[in-house]
Amino acid sequence: MEPVIEVKNLTKEYKKLKAVNDLSFEVQKGEILGLLGPNGSGKSTTINCILSLLKFSKGSIRIFGQEMKPNAYDIKRKIGVVFQEVAVFDELSVYDNIDYFCGLYVKDKKQRRQYIEDAIQLVGLEDFKKFLPKQLSGGLLRRLNIACGIAHKPSLIFLDEPTVAVDPQSRNNILDGIKTLRDQGATIVYTTHYMEEVELLCDRVIIIDKGQILASGTNDELKALANMEEKVTIETKHLRKEQFDYLQSLPNVLEATYQAHQLVIVYRQGNHNLSHLMEYFKQEQIQYDRMYSQRPTLNDVFLKLTGKELRD
Amino acid sequence: MTVFKTYCKVLTKCKWPILLYTVILIFFSAFNTQNNDTSTMFSATRPKIHIINLDENSDVSKHFITYLNDHSDIIDFDSEEAVSDALFYHKISCVITIPKNFGEDFYQGKDVHIDIKSTKDYQGSLIEMMLERYVKVATAYVSIFDDHHDLFQAIDQTLATEVETSIASSLDSDSLNKAALYFNFSNYCLVAGCVFVICMILTSFKSDHIRKRTIISSLNYKKYNRQLLLSNGVFTFVLWLFYIVLSILLVGNAMFTLHGLLYMLNSFVFAFCSLCLAFLIANLVKNKEAINGIVNVLALGSSFLCGAFVPMEMLPEGVLKAAHVLPSYWFIKNNETLKTLETLNTDTLQPIFINMLVIFAFSCLFIIISNIIAKKKRKIN
Repeated sequence: MEPVIEVKNLTKEYKKLKAVNDLSFEVQKGEILGLLGPNGSGKSTTINCILSLLKFSKGSIRIFGQEMKPNAYDIKRKIGVVFQEVAVFDELSVYDNIDYFCGLYVKDKKQRRQYIEDAIQLVGLEDFKKFLPKQLSGGLLRRLNIACGIAHKPSLIFLDEPTVAVDPQSRNNILDGIKTLRDQGATIVYTTHYMEEVELLCDRVIIIDKGQILASGTNDELKALANMEEKVTIETKHLRKEQFDYLQSLPNVLEATYQAHQLVIVYRQGNHNLSHLMEYFKQEQIQYDRMYSQRPTLNDVFLKLTGKELRD
Repeated sequence: MTVFKTYCKVLTKCKWPILLYTVILIFFSAFNTQNNDTSTMFSATRPKIHIINLDENSDVSKHFITYLNDHSDIIDFDSEEAVSDALFYHKISCVITIPKNFGEDFYQGKDVHIDIKSTKDYQGSLIEMMLERYVKVATAYVSIFDDHHDLFQAIDQTLATEVETSIASSLDSDSLNKAALYFNFSNYCLVAGCVFVICMILTSFKSDHIRKRTIISSLNYKKYNRQLLLSNGVFTFVLWLFYIVLSILLVGNAMFTLHGLLYMLNSFVFAFCSLCLAFLIANLVKNKEAINGIVNVLALGSSFLCGAFVPMEMLPEGVLKAAHVLPSYWFIKNNETLKTLETLNTDTLQPIFINMLVIFAFSCLFIIISNIIAKKKRKIN
């Protein structure tokens, strides 16, 4: 099947700085691709190059099998974009804002009216149709921003950090909306530096840093790169040195640390690590406050690949 | 027409400032036209004069003095020096000297000459006219009447005759004065209205984020720019039309004369120039908060410097020279010239059209600078 987006050897240079360095990837129809990377890693620059908002130095970009150019209006008709910054008219109501941006694509009045209603419903702004942007909270404003970008029912949607500085309720609403769009058949490119969102939403993830792809694959494929199965954390003040040494020496333990009354054990593999650990603590009569297990996160992958945290 | 419709929606948010400018225009125009001196109303004045009569015994000199006394205030002085001082300081308008043997020469039909020293102002000229008229009438009747009483009666009757006069000019100077005042004030409203509204709207449309969203849309960006340009043009035209209708309501039928049409044409050219200026400012300014300040500086500044609020004649020469670099100066100059133009022909209209061309040249300059700035902005990416 022909990919919806095909990026080959994309390079964008600002004088001596390479913001995007020889990037190649594909996005398949109906999938949500996550572009994950810290601030300044080149995610937005990549999106801007794909959308022809920026001229790039090298490479090629094809969307729906056609070369993407500034005047490729047929392709643009099928694309929806939600930028990181809220792009709405302060003077227009919620409804009029969506109407304007939808009107840039859809000429038919009746159809547009239906699309606007659908978009309002999707982001949950039914009660705020006549509100001006300045009367909306930050979260509602972000939802309006999304509605303006997707009201014309595009088949390819770019979402550039749509949940930055959003309250939990609005974030959940936005994420639900994105899932609905995916269910309706849209292909989505989602850039963020929130790994939880990527894990929750994306079918495939590309990790970018300094304009280069560090790794790509499904969540599980990427987590495998972290070379760990499980991370168990125990809060205890009563662990003796010989007990810690014993735990560290277990064959499936990759790494163990005990600092500030917190024991962290990273297991290479194993299915019942937590229950075995609990049994050991009971047997040794070691008191503890809390014990919990975590599967490896994309942050662990990023840490493994770059030696730094995703949010550094 | 999505862009045009949205333009109109955003425009409705700017209606209050436009209404405010209009109220200011109506208020100042009405106030000034009420206080404006109409040049068609006249009242008689009584000049102050001094008479030196060297022919005191003559009845004709006495009659002449009586005539003068009826139309002026005769002032007596103690000395010749005091008379000279009074004339020098314009305390009196003239000194009339009736020569010796005036009466004798008059009755003998000889040429009589009455000496007059005048301040040469309009009151002095009035007395000179009265004197000349008296001598002409009296010398005409002296050969007809033998009886002095009959002669003086005839002179009095003739001099008392009032002739109905009418102003030969067809110029409705009252209405044209009103029109000039109105259009001079409209300088402020057109500049402020166009710059404020267009800058506010374009700042929204051209804000980086909305521009980005528009560029990635399926609407051709050139088409989008054309729609925006058309919207601004329509707005400026409607604003101009609104002020023209207002001028018809305030000034009246004079607006349907050739003079009135020229006022309209002049303001149309200026409205176009204001539109171009607004484009330039909109390209320079990104911050909506700054627009109010810029409008005040531009509209109020140009109005004060170029004589929209204060008559041009009252402005210092240096200020007027500096005002040459502003289109408002040429617009107001045309308004002032138009109100005094008695006849309209190629020669008299030439300076009017040259001034309009200067305003148009300013418009072109603003467009060129706007395009250069816009191109530079595009190159940044």
